[in-house]
Amino acid sequence: MEVPVQTAEIFKILSKGQFINSNSSNKAVADLYKVIEEESNFENLYDYFRNINFTLEKGDEYYYFSRAENKVDLETKLDAAFRWIDIIDFLKTYDNSFSSGYRFTPSDILVRIKTDAELETKLEGLKKHTDKDKHQDILDKILKKLIDDTFIELENEITHQYKVLASFKYLEQLILTINIPDEVRNEIPE
Amino acid sequence: MNTFSNIKELVSALYREQKLLTEMFKKRKSASYKYEYALDLVDNDDNRIQYLLNRSVIRQNGNNLEIDDQFLQFFEQVLEANEEINTSYINDNLEKVTQNIAYYFNEPNEQRKYEYLRIIKNTLRKLGTITLRNVVDLKRNIDNTFKNEPTYKNKRAKLIHLDNKRKDITKLIAQTEKLITEDELTFFNTATDEELSRIIVQLKMQLGKCTHNLIEIERQIIDFLNQIQYQSSVIEKLRLIKYLKDQFILETTTDLKEILATNDSVIFEPKPAYPLKLSLEYLQADEEAFASILKIAKRVKAGINLKRPVAEKISSEYLETQIEEEIQINLEEVKNGFVASSYNLFDFLMNYNFAKEVSFEDRVTIYCQLISQYENIFEITEQFEEKKEIEFAMVYPK
Repeated sequence: MEVPVQTAEIFKILSKGQFINSNSSNKAVADLYKVIEEESNFENLYDYFRNINFTLEKGDEYYYFSRAENKVDLETKLDAAFRWIDIIDFLKTYDNSFSSGYRFTPSDILVRIKTDAELETKLEGLKKHTDKDKHQDILDKILKKLIDDTFIELENEITHQYKVLASFKYLEQLILTINIPDEVRNEIPE
Repeated sequence: MNTFSNIKELVSALYREQKLLTEMFKKRKSASYKYEYALDLVDNDDNRIQYLLNRSVIRQNGNNLEIDDQFLQFFEQVLEANEEINTSYINDNLEKVTQNIAYYFNEPNEQRKYEYLRIIKNTLRKLGTITLRNVVDLKRNIDNTFKNEPTYKNKRAKLIHLDNKRKDITKLIAQTEKLITEDELTFFNTATDEELSRIIVQLKMQLGKCTHNLIEIERQIIDFLNQIQYQSSVIEKLRLIKYLKDQFILETTTDLKEILATNDSVIFEPKPAYPLKLSLEYLQADEEAFASILKIAKRVKAGINLKRPVAEKISSEYLETQIEEEIQINLEEVKNGFVASSYNLFDFLMNYNFAKEVSFEDRVTIYCQLISQYENIFEITEQFEEKKEIEFAMVYPK
């Protein structure tokens, strides 16, 4: 089986639970995406990683790993999911179009917080995930977590501009797949 | 209200106030252009503004000024900066062509017939340009709306509206094509005019281009609408889920647990660390590794005080003095005794009373030692004697 030379780099990123995004501004990562994208490569890599119990999963413009004998218990997953829901809710409140390809700077968000009480409340709601008190510290911590999970990246260090990566759709998909029964849905106020 | 009496007057008026009109045109999106700002641009000459107001080039609204809609549309259309897509204009022109074709057939006078033909040609030429411009405007408007409209509902409504415009234009293009290829076939076959056929070819090409562009626009609108649909569905769902979560009933009311139970993504796992040991061979052979080792060694030296291993107490047994005596034979003393005596050396030694017991063999050894050491003060004779199977020379003091 012929696997591409970049297999080690691909494994290094994916095995950490990170994503390989097509719209990463890090050229090395974007190149890796192109490598996986080639059909024969994808099949070979899929088989190759299957042998060590990792499943190479394809999302909309991103790749990630899953594996069947996941050691993580449900509670940890729930914690992560709850944290993500809070974070996405905050970011989408900041801007409805906050999604893959969106660019922002933390100072934009902080400025808005001063005039947007709802946003401020939601940011303060994120305190429990960060153990921080100051607005800026909470926001920085949240952004750092998103960077660690490769949902966003720091695109420009000088202007401190961040870019939302394609993997953000993974979170959106997760939300969309949650099924709310009609009778519950009807009880939720508009 | 005054109007311009001729083109010259209009053009020179526009030329005179070019500064003001340029500035106002740039700011046409923001509703308010203050009267005072305008005064600055006309050298504080109130009459010049009044002149424009009188001729309805600009309009006054309280303290604000704006360019009259008629002129604004004119500027926008000429500069291809208009935002409104006006399909009725195409439609008008289309009707104009049909009407003039009818007039053309009814008219017996060649001169007038030619007049109608000229109008038809002009209108057809215009038709192509207008349609193309409308398509270009439509494309730009769609892009702008998608990228810049902040309100989701409006964005969606505007895109749907633009999509309808697209349908209108498509319909008009089809009508135009039908007009020149089917409906008025007689006219286009009878009115043989070289310029007309050239215009028709040109028009067909422009319409073809428009059709291609419209297909692309349709694809883009569908894509944009889908994206909006997707985003708003995410937001809607997110709002519901967040509500349930804040009520602490998210796990119990939805299938979140099942979904997460089947989701095996590695992202949920804690970040793995691979505590692999370094290869010994690498550590021994690699230059860089050696440099690192030195660096770390230095740091270790600086930071940590190594405890020197302390030996156990020495047992007191080892410290006790033990005396061992050994008796040494003083050859000097023996020699002195011998010199004072009159014996030969061998017999002297045999009878010498040493401090300890000395065997025969040892006495022989001492004999040899004495001779070799004090050869000069002994007289070694040539006489030999024998005792206990040892032959020895007779030695006397000198």
